[in-house]
Amino acid sequence: MTRGGIPFLAPMLALSVAGFLVPLVVLAAFSFSDPAGGFGVANYAKLFADPLALPVLFDTLALGFKVVVTTTLVGLPIAVLFWYAGPRERSLIVFLTLLPMLVSNVVRTFAWIVILGRQGPVSQTLAGLGFISAPRSFLFNETSIVVVLTQIELPLLLLPVLAILSRTDRSYVSAAETLGAGPWRILATVVLPLAAPGILAGWVLVFASATTSYVTHAAIGGARFIYLPQYIYREVAVLFQWPAAATVAFVLLATTGIIMAAMALLSRHPRLAAHG
Amino acid sequence: MLNLKLPRRSVVVGLGGLVAAPMFGVSRANAAGSIVAAAFPGSWEDSYRTVIGPVLKSAGTELVLAPALAQDQIARLRASQARGKPAFDAMMVSPGQTATAIENGLIEKIDPSKLKNWSKLLPGARTEWGPNVTIEITGFAYNPRLVPKPRTYRELFENPVYQGKVGWSGFGSNTATIAWVEIAKAFGGSEDDLSPAFRILADSLKKGAVITSNNQQQMALYQQNEIAVFISTVGNVANLRGRGVQCDFAHPTTGSPALPVALHLVKGSTNPNAVYQYMDAAISADVQRQFSMPPTEVLPTNTDVPLTASLKTFITEADMRNLIYPNWAKINPNRAAWSAEFDRVVKK
Repeated sequence: MTRGGIPFLAPMLALSVAGFLVPLVVLAAFSFSDPAGGFGVANYAKLFADPLALPVLFDTLALGFKVVVTTTLVGLPIAVLFWYAGPRERSLIVFLTLLPMLVSNVVRTFAWIVILGRQGPVSQTLAGLGFISAPRSFLFNETSIVVVLTQIELPLLLLPVLAILSRTDRSYVSAAETLGAGPWRILATVVLPLAAPGILAGWVLVFASATTSYVTHAAIGGARFIYLPQYIYREVAVLFQWPAAATVAFVLLATTGIIMAAMALLSRHPRLAAHG
Repeated sequence: MLNLKLPRRSVVVGLGGLVAAPMFGVSRANAAGSIVAAAFPGSWEDSYRTVIGPVLKSAGTELVLAPALAQDQIARLRASQARGKPAFDAMMVSPGQTATAIENGLIEKIDPSKLKNWSKLLPGARTEWGPNVTIEITGFAYNPRLVPKPRTYRELFENPVYQGKVGWSGFGSNTATIAWVEIAKAFGGSEDDLSPAFRILADSLKKGAVITSNNQQQMALYQQNEIAVFISTVGNVANLRGRGVQCDFAHPTTGSPALPVALHLVKGSTNPNAVYQYMDAAISADVQRQFSMPPTEVLPTNTDVPLTASLKTFITEADMRNLIYPNWAKINPNRAAWSAEFDRVVKK
């Protein structure tokens, strides 16, 4: 019997087909059905004619991009710290990165309600230092949603980057130093390009997770910041308009899928797919 | 030291079996002596689990509770009925959803002879589709340290003392839905015309009104003093008090909307006898007596259970005469449009 091949992939393929592809096809079929039992694009036409739908879609994608940017700004310094750290410090950084993931996203989100609330430490500190005249709530705005999602999604960016960096051969850095490159040049032209596949993988994960994080959107943003997950929930659970909900879900899937595919293609650029 | 030889073939077969096992296993509804009952999340779910769960267990039935708001229950049942396998064996809903459930063929008429406690119920609590286990009284939950006692819906919008301190939510819950109907009436509208309510809502957004996704979020925000007033039920206020949170209840002077809560037998339940056991337990004097005490403090419908002294602080005989029963026949057809309009108004 030969090793590898389709027989070894069969169980996973069967699960993927049964658990993912089949429901996806059912969802697609629903999105193209109408209440009269016919088939067509009426649901999509109705969705894009709704003055609420396109702003909700753009807001959702914009939120995803914002969280990608903020997690990158916060995560890259940690990655650089990891790069220059010794083995014990590296273990500590990995442990601290993984630690929040032991707590459910829902619990972390509700913890942020306390932190950002009127009586929370942020408000009390700012009031105590005189930056604000009285304690106030920092909830119910997009900035707080981005901050909370940054904390929640940070491990999704960091883990692929740390995994790449931990395999990176330090001799590249030694060679660059020998050739006269300073630390910042080494960082910009050696370390970051080598970490780029991990960064891109992290961006894909962060974008997908941030745009679909219903609990965080609802709990931190309230009902005034409507993103596609809440839109889908309303269509399913309040309005019972399942074909419409399937349509919105498919649009979300398609747009995030296109963006993720673009990021994945970018990661295949010869200069970025460096590891061998 | 343990010397375990595990060929790869065995590991793969074993893991495959582990994953495939649920496909051949019994569904949760078929497990001997068990039912899945939907219950409102929060204090309802907690109290039903802790009080009714053991009662059923002693009779050989396992009670599994699925927390879901009334609208969610309808959505889940409609989705699961399409597959021929209901998501629950029993529902817990208010009249609006009862009407929808009947319309969609989701529930069955009950046989009262199977309920030993049927004759103990208030006459109005006995319906052919199932017993009413309580009547939820809705009104204003408020923090007396931060705001004065509210008296009218208009006051919450017009009195500057409440500005930025009131939490509102949309049409996902019955409590909020009937509140918006009452607000519309207060500003010249009706059950057919909610436009005054949406106008005043739009205006209040400029003054810092807090719009939440649901009532549970309002309770969480209330505990953090993010809001000082929200529309809620006597039971939720009692629950907050039971957790040491200062909270009082005020009846609107225009009348307190009342929501009878009924249990229904879902069509296609695989264990209807256990559902009757569950219903009978929920309307029994022992259980209702426990529910009428802190922290749940819901009104009993069993005539053998008197109102507790604590419940009498929430509701008097005069309040009982001033209860408003919403016209769900008018509300239900408009709810979808109202929900969509609410999102359009509040979206930033």
